[in-house]
Amino acid sequence: MSEFDAIVVGGGPAGTSAAMRLAANKLNVLLVEKADPPGSKNVSGGVLWGNSLSGVMPDWEKTAPLERYVKSKGIGFLTKDSSIDINFRSTKFNETKTGYTVLRTKLDQFLNKKAKDAGVTVVTGVTVDRLAFEGKKVVGVEQDGDIITSDAVILAEGANPRVAIDSGIRPPLKDEDVAIGVKEVIKLPEKTINDRFNLREKEGFAGEYVLGFLDGGVEAGGFLYTNKDSISLGVVISMKHLRENNKTYSYDIVEQFKNHPSIAPLLEDGKVDEYSARMVQEGGLASIPKLYGNGYMIAGDAAGFSFSNGLILQGMNYAIASGIAAADTVVEAKAGSGISEQSLSRYEEKLMNSFVLRDMHTFKGIGDITWGSLIHQKMPGVLEKVMLGLFMEDGEPKKHVNQIVKEALKSSGLKSSKLLLEGYRMYKRM
Amino acid sequence: MKIEDRLSLLNYKIDKSYAHITVKPDICETCPDHFCTFACPAKCYTLIDAKLNFKYEDCVECGTCVVACAHGSVSWTNSKGAHGVKYKYG
Repeated sequence: MSEFDAIVVGGGPAGTSAAMRLAANKLNVLLVEKADPPGSKNVSGGVLWGNSLSGVMPDWEKTAPLERYVKSKGIGFLTKDSSIDINFRSTKFNETKTGYTVLRTKLDQFLNKKAKDAGVTVVTGVTVDRLAFEGKKVVGVEQDGDIITSDAVILAEGANPRVAIDSGIRPPLKDEDVAIGVKEVIKLPEKTINDRFNLREKEGFAGEYVLGFLDGGVEAGGFLYTNKDSISLGVVISMKHLRENNKTYSYDIVEQFKNHPSIAPLLEDGKVDEYSARMVQEGGLASIPKLYGNGYMIAGDAAGFSFSNGLILQGMNYAIASGIAAADTVVEAKAGSGISEQSLSRYEEKLMNSFVLRDMHTFKGIGDITWGSLIHQKMPGVLEKVMLGLFMEDGEPKKHVNQIVKEALKSSGLKSSKLLLEGYRMYKRM
Repeated sequence: MKIEDRLSLLNYKIDKSYAHITVKPDICETCPDHFCTFACPAKCYTLIDAKLNFKYEDCVECGTCVVACAHGSVSWTNSKGAHGVKYKYG
């Protein structure tokens, strides 16, 4: 007889959602989180997209500590001197909120408290070393030589999945699996943020940028999200390209983004109040490990669930949805034939029937595009030349748009055959 | 803003009795790239007189270094007993 029906490792969105769902089904659940207070080691960009949290907390939009809802979504291409931006704003986002900016230390503390209120035994400040096995069956977790037993373990340990790796249930991470995320939180008065981003109270901006001005082939994306009275800004750097470059420091790239002539005025007089970093799961389908086995499942970032197509970057909604699916799998297995590899295989089926794994399959190979030289090295420069051709008045006779575009492509050295092929791939995969 | 100034904004509960990351100096000595010094966002890895110097105290526990080191020098474990970095925003 196990001490718990289920143990959840990790008190982030995946783990707390799983724990709440299990407790709602009257199971005896232990949630183990290494940080104390919970959330104090967790970092997100972060926008919480979608409505997955309603699966465990129907009133989350009213009760959770949310900063602002996304009213305005930006996409930008930055060159050394210019920025080419699309800014989509819609009153449709007032009616149906699609995303909220959050600060994870606050959000995760709230989620852990909700889990506790729901009857979960929440233990913080305790680090799980590895899974405990009996033969090939996972029978609990091991911590400092102690074994705590459970019928099932849900591993929701985040982007740096040491327990899974050290337990031999997933391979170590490789360059293709992750990017380096570096972030700063910059304090600014609420009114200043509203004025600079053309926002009213509670309205927020979420922008993603291609940083086409970085030297030496370094490829990175930038993000800038507005909180109530701060800005979350950061970069997501390709591990592979940083390694090939091997002369640029990861911590300098975020400064280059902040100092860009289009970004710096937005941050003026702001005070950097926190610096943070995490790995970002960028490998897509190819990086996803075996998701379940006899007695365990892997959820959230630890399973490589995140989504990026260059226009948007999501993780927390995948974490929550996978945590809930893992919990439901335990509930069903216990009510049926019991916990086994066979009964837990339902977890993968559930994910295949939800956006979590379906998106991974639909966007298989997207990384070749989002981390390709077309988007990072060529496109920003071409767009800049086109815009300058259109808007820089030099007193010369005007040219047709097609002439301007042709010249911009020519000067970028992009062969039209390559552009056609790459453009086609982008069009198909994005 | 210098990285040292940014790191100084962070709160840590430093574990004096346990280094959650260790490196193998003999491997680092012959390392041809020292990519860790570029990859680590917390500047825990630096070259002093061409020799690798590592300190775990500033670590933000992202795990980047163990992926970055292609030579098997870095051993990474989770911090214990709520030690290590403590973010206020995250």
